[in-house]
Parts: sequence; structure tokens; C-alpha cells
Amino acid sequence: MEELKRKIEPLLLKTQKPARYIGGELGSVIKDKSKVDVRFAFCFPDVYDVGMSHLGMKILYGLKNARENWWCERVFMPEKDFEKQMRDNDIPLYALESLDPIKDFDFIGFTLQYELSYTNVLEMLDLAGLPVLSKDRTDLTPIVIGGGPCVCNPEPVADFFDLFVLGEGEELNIELLELYERMKPHNPTKQEFLREAAKIEGVYVPSFYDVDYNDDGTVKSITPNCDTAPAKIRKRVIKDFDKVYYPDSFVVPFTSIVHDRAVVEVLRGCIRGCRFCQAGFIYRPFREKGIDTIEKQTKALCEQTGYEQVSLSSLSTSDYTEIEKLLATLADYTDKENVNLSLPSLRIDSFSEELLERIASVRKSGLTFAPEAGTQRLRDVINKNITEEEIMHTCRMAFAAGYGTVKLYFMLGLPDETDEDVLGIPELAHKIVDLYYETPRELRAATIQVSLSTATFVPKPFTPFEFEPQATPEEIDLKQKLIIDNIRSKKVKFSYHQQPVSKLEAVLARGDRRVCKAVYEAWKKGCTLDSWDEHFRPELWDEAFAECGIDRSFYANRRREYDEVMPWSHLDYLVSREFFIRENKKAHQALTTRNCCEGCSGCGISKEYGGLYCKGV
Amino acid sequence: MAQPKNQNLIVERWDYRLTFAKEGRARYISHLDLMRTMQRAIKRAKVPIWYTQGFNPHAYLMFPLALPLGTDSEIETLDIALTEDWEFDRLVEQLNGSMPEGLYFISAARPVRSHKDIAAARYDIELSFNRPAGEMLGLFESFVSGETIEIEKRVKPKKGRKPGVKLVDIKPLMTLNSYELRGEKLYIDITLPAGVESNINTGVVIDAFCAFAKAEFETIYTKRTKILCKDGENFT
Repeated sequence: MEELKRKIEPLLLKTQKPARYIGGELGSVIKDKSKVDVRFAFCFPDVYDVGMSHLGMKILYGLKNARENWWCERVFMPEKDFEKQMRDNDIPLYALESLDPIKDFDFIGFTLQYELSYTNVLEMLDLAGLPVLSKDRTDLTPIVIGGGPCVCNPEPVADFFDLFVLGEGEELNIELLELYERMKPHNPTKQEFLREAAKIEGVYVPSFYDVDYNDDGTVKSITPNCDTAPAKIRKRVIKDFDKVYYPDSFVVPFTSIVHDRAVVEVLRGCIRGCRFCQAGFIYRPFREKGIDTIEKQTKALCEQTGYEQVSLSSLSTSDYTEIEKLLATLADYTDKENVNLSLPSLRIDSFSEELLERIASVRKSGLTFAPEAGTQRLRDVINKNITEEEIMHTCRMAFAAGYGTVKLYFMLGLPDETDEDVLGIPELAHKIVDLYYETPRELRAATIQVSLSTATFVPKPFTPFEFEPQATPEEIDLKQKLIIDNIRSKKVKFSYHQQPVSKLEAVLARGDRRVCKAVYEAWKKGCTLDSWDEHFRPELWDEAFAECGIDRSFYANRRREYDEVMPWSHLDYLVSREFFIRENKKAHQALTTRNCCEGCSGCGISKEYGGLYCKGV
Repeated sequence: MAQPKNQNLIVERWDYRLTFAKEGRARYISHLDLMRTMQRAIKRAKVPIWYTQGFNPHAYLMFPLALPLGTDSEIETLDIALTEDWEFDRLVEQLNGSMPEGLYFISAARPVRSHKDIAAARYDIELSFNRPAGEMLGLFESFVSGETIEIEKRVKPKKGRKPGVKLVDIKPLMTLNSYELRGEKLYIDITLPAGVESNINTGVVIDAFCAFAKAEFETIYTKRTKILCKDGENFT
């Protein structure tokens, strides 16, 4: 530690936000190395400000460190300025707690939250002084593992990882590390360890599977080549979600991060079934924590961290069965302690005004809606159950209460989208502006601003739209122009997503193992921090794909047949292929599907996984 | 009708001036981040902090003088107010139970001087260079014995103009208390203007010297040793 610290310190004064690179935050766990048997480097493949906001890391950090003889530490991707300093001064990638190089750790675990972080994984392995390809890392340690939502199709990064962990990590991480702890004294080879690990439910060792391709380039088959590897790897689910481990302590950063507050997870899974949304399917089934548990965890975290804000986390907090009671209970505590209770993604139409007033911060922030599509027909196609009336009703209430900004999020390039659907976007904005002017002058805010924001739809695995082609950048361009040409009010602002990024996301989301080569080449050419506009280099990605002979349209813009073997066909996320096909067909007929709370639609998840509304066997 | 959130108006307050140390890894906490860090530490410590009385109540904290990033100190001050009258020792002890590594309180007292009285601060600087220390000592001698020591200072732009830089002679503003060689390191004990009227960071002096000597430092260790008022008295 001391040696590396001496090298790092003089560089910090020449670095932006140096507190990101030196650790020492309150709540960070320091252990005596001589008493530790398993060392785990938890890597978030993006900069500190982003990674420190990630709840999954906080959970798994606490979980592993609760074992006396395991030590889990945090590692982030350095910004370009510090990365250069590290390379110039021979500083290998180190963990923030011990300041020890991570190449000497037992495990290096990456959480894969979004496709555009893939090159950062390679960069971090390289900074650590390790070969980026799994096959070139022949020693037992470090074992490089990956988890997180992108692991539902990890094929485009399969060559870089030793194993993947599918689904929820609270039990799986423990089982994997226990296995390692048992085997370590016998000095197994890496192969021997992976063979045993593959027996754990949810562990996917990519090198234990052979992929064959058809002449047309689609996948023919994915078959295990190792007797301990199952033909299908099933994701892990915590059945008793109320009892699952939750940290009573967070690492509290000095420097400001994206989500700088205490966070309590209230439910997992989503009942909604929006057809474009991967999270809505891969985190199923819907499970909740009890009010007592949530209250206890809120208090514990607020007291330990000293945060003045606590946020309830979930895919859709208003779907919590006893939401009013929960908020009233928490507000009793947070009011008393001068803590601000924040509720992202809440449908406010369902609340009493009294409760709204209690929980709403006195500073009037804006309203945000995600209608995703411009017309009711297209919203039915994507099964997004928000109606124009609901939006207008909420806006009417909000304008009368003095709110003056409305943000609307949409996607462009959705399946079956017509010009009429696109035109519905500016039209909705104009209706909202008109509604503002209808509000009595003495009640409404001094001015109104409606911000429209569109992102390009990226079809994702394990959704009913996994078969759909992505709209080409040219098509999206036309749609954006159509919106711009039809905005008639100065009160409406329009912003949109960069084109090449979305296509790259589409390729990486639904790519197969052959895409690994392009990821490698792009990284070799200098692509890192791709999710940052200022660092994204589309021309280098173009070169990389061209040199590898990979046609991106094959992955992004091709309609896939219902019987096509997908690159992720050997992974089981519990929701059935039949359900996705059924939903896809309904989408093309613009038919909606009820949510789980209204009645089970038979997505294929058995009730044994603890889902609140599950009926399946 | 919107009303202030903090309805339990607490007018009575007891003011404290805390002296604290910032060292080790905590040295890299910027001033802005230090504010947040202290707020959270005080909240964790469950000290009865006084909240500002308004639409957006927040814990009252005031730093009379900012400490530059990368500088150690054992004499930093933080003003807070409580809603109860606490013993000084109890306050310090309670707060220290919830501080992150490298930050701790040394003492508490009632504030005496106004932060506007602060005029200067004294620093110990320890430097090693990519060149022999003896040579650097000679260069430092000629650096400080020159007629002027000019640094570039950013000036606030006039309305509609671009921000510019102007050359400032800092020689009359600084007091060099001593400097010497200790082993391979150059030690400097210097007093520089600080406070609301004028502030000079040790960094600009060192940068000016490095530019003068055409050298780069390899390690630097800076510690603030005194905060001084206009009349030459210690601030605390």
C-alpha cells in the first residue's frame, strides 16, 4: 500500500477531482491482509462518479465484507487524465481500500450495467497488467467474473471473462467464494476450479460451450463441451426478498457523485411488462420487502451515512402494494430528522394531495413523464400503459400547484411506428403548453417549458422485441427532422440521442461471440469511455467492425425469426420464449397485455420463485 | 399556499468555533466536498445542530477560511450552531466518533474574532525536485532575492468581456520566515495573504519558483501552521 500511495499522491494534485482515486471514505472497509483468505476486486467499468452511485455494488460489497476472512474492495475506471498519469508512472490499477494492485487478487468482478462500458472492462484489465483474453490468463487467479443485466447476453464479451454469474447475486456470490475458499488450499488449476464452479446454478463458463453457425450467419447451436456444464444456465432469484441481505452501511464519498444519497430498495421485478423494457422481464418476478424492513433499513442507512436525502429504489415504486402506508411511515421519520425523502419514478395521480404535500420537497422541481410513444396506438404496441388523459390530468393538477417545467421522454424507431406516431410527439407537447395557458394566471407558474427528449429504440434480448430490427440511423434522422419541423411553440424544447451510439448498443446487446473481436479491436484503437459523448469515437468503431468483417446491420437491423437460435438461447431468465413470441404477435396487433397485478399472463415463471402475483407452476 | 418546511422555529442557538485537523487521505477533499463531508459527519454524530430557518432548511456550517486541496493542517476552523448548550469537550468527543479517516476535531470554543479579521496564513512546505537539492536551494535564494516575484492571476471579467490574466508582484505580499535544506529536501516557511480581501495559494508561489528554476517538483508536502488576523494575533 505505502509504496503505491507514495507514487499516487504527487499525481493527485495534477488530477481532476483527486478524491476519486485515494479512497479513505467513511464506510469503506479496511481489513488486516494477513487474516484474509479471499480478496475480491469489485470493478465498476465506468468512472467513480457513476460507479459509486450503483446500488448493486453497495449490496455485494457489504455482503462479502460481512465475512471476516473475505475482503471486497472497490475499483473504478479512471478518467483519461488520471489514466495517463497511471500509465506514465507505471501505476497498475489498484483497489481503493488497500491501494494494492488488483492483479494479485483472487477475484476481479465486473458489473456489466450497459453495453457501452465493455471497452472499459478491457482497459481496466490492461491497466491492471493482465491479458484481456481469458485464454491468455492461465493462472488460477485472478478469476475474472462478470454479472449484472448485460450478462443476459454476455456473448459479445465472452472471450474476456472466465465466468459469468446470472441473475441476482446475493446467494450466488457467497456460493462461488465459498467454493473457491474450499478449493484454494489444494492449489487447483483454473480449469479445475471452473469445472466445479459450473455446477453452481447461475454460473456460466463461456469456454465450456461451443457455438456453431449456419451458412446465413445465424447461430446453429450452442453446446456444452464439459460434463459439468449444464445445457441451459438458469438465472438466480432470491425467493424470500424480505429477508435478503441489505447493507446497513454505505461508503459515503467525499466528492459529489451522480446519486449522492441513501438508497433503500423496496421491491424487485416489475409488474408492467412494457415490451421494449429489458429490466421489466429479466428482473421478474415481482417481490416486495415489508414496511417494517424498509423502515428499519432506511433508519439504519440514514444514521450511518448522515445523508440528508434518502431515495426509494425500484423499477416502479408506485406499484408497491401499500405505498401510501409506506410513505406515511417513512415521512414520520424523515420529517423529524430533516431528511428529504425522494421518490423517483412515481405516478402521482394515485396519491392524496395531503400525502403529496408531505413528501414533496418545497422546492418545486419539474414533472417528468415517459409516454415513450406519441400515440395511444403505438403505446398499445409497446404495452406502455400510460394514457394521454392521465398525463393531462396530472399536468392540470401540477400547473394549478405552480409547476412550470414538464419533461417528456420518448423512443423513436419503435416497431410499427408511422409518421403519425412521430407527429404525436410534438402534438402532445403543444397540448400541454395549451393546458398551461388554460390554468388561471394567479395559480400557474410565471412561465412554462416543455422538454421533449427522444432516444433511439434498442431491441434487447429477453424482451418481446428481441426479434425486431432496429430502425436505421437514416430512418431515425427523418423521424427527428419530422419532429423538429412540427414544433410550433417556443415553449417546447427538443433534444435527441446521438445516432452511432444507438446502433452500437444494438449490436452489442444482441451480438454473438464473433463480436468479441470487434470489441477487442475497437479498444486496441483507443475506444474507452464510449458512453461519454466527449470520448466516444464512432470512426474507430467503424474501422474495427470493418477490419473484423462484421456487418453491424446483421445484428442491429435484421428481423429475427421466432425459431432462430439466439446467441443467448442457452441462458434461461425464467420468462419463456413462447411468452415473448405471444407478446410480439400481440404487439403487431396493437393489443395490450394486463399487468401482473391485474392477473397472471403466464410469462412462464413458476410461483416457487416467490413472485407476489405469480400463478404459474 | 406553500409554507416554510421548518415550522418548528428554533431561534435560540449556541455558537461554536471548532478547530479541526485535515491530513492523510483527507488532504484531497476539496473545499466544496469538505462542506458536505462535515454536514454528514455532524448528522451522523447526532449533535443537535441548528437548522437555518427558511423554505429550504439546512444545517448551519461556516468555514471562516478555505484550505487549499492537498494541504495538511491542524488549525482549521469550522463554525457551527447548536440548539442546546453543550460542553466543549462533549461536542468534540461526540463529533470525533463519526469522522472519516484523516479528519478530526481538536477543540471547541465560542467564536471570538470575526472571519473578516483573517489576513494571512503561514505554511510549511517540503519539496523534493528532479534536480539536486543543493542546486535548488541556490535557485530559491535567487528567486526570492529578485526585485519582484510575478505571478499570473486570473482577473474577474468585466461584464461582457472574457476573463483575463494579469501579472501581480507578490513579493511585497509574502513574508518568507525561513528556508533551508534538510537532507535532499527544501523546506520553506512562508506567510501569505489569506481571507476575504486577498488570497494567495502556496501553489502559485511554488509554480512560479518551478518556472523560474525550470525544474519540476517530485514530491510536495504542505501544511498550514497558522491563521493570522490583521493585528498579527492568531485567529483562534
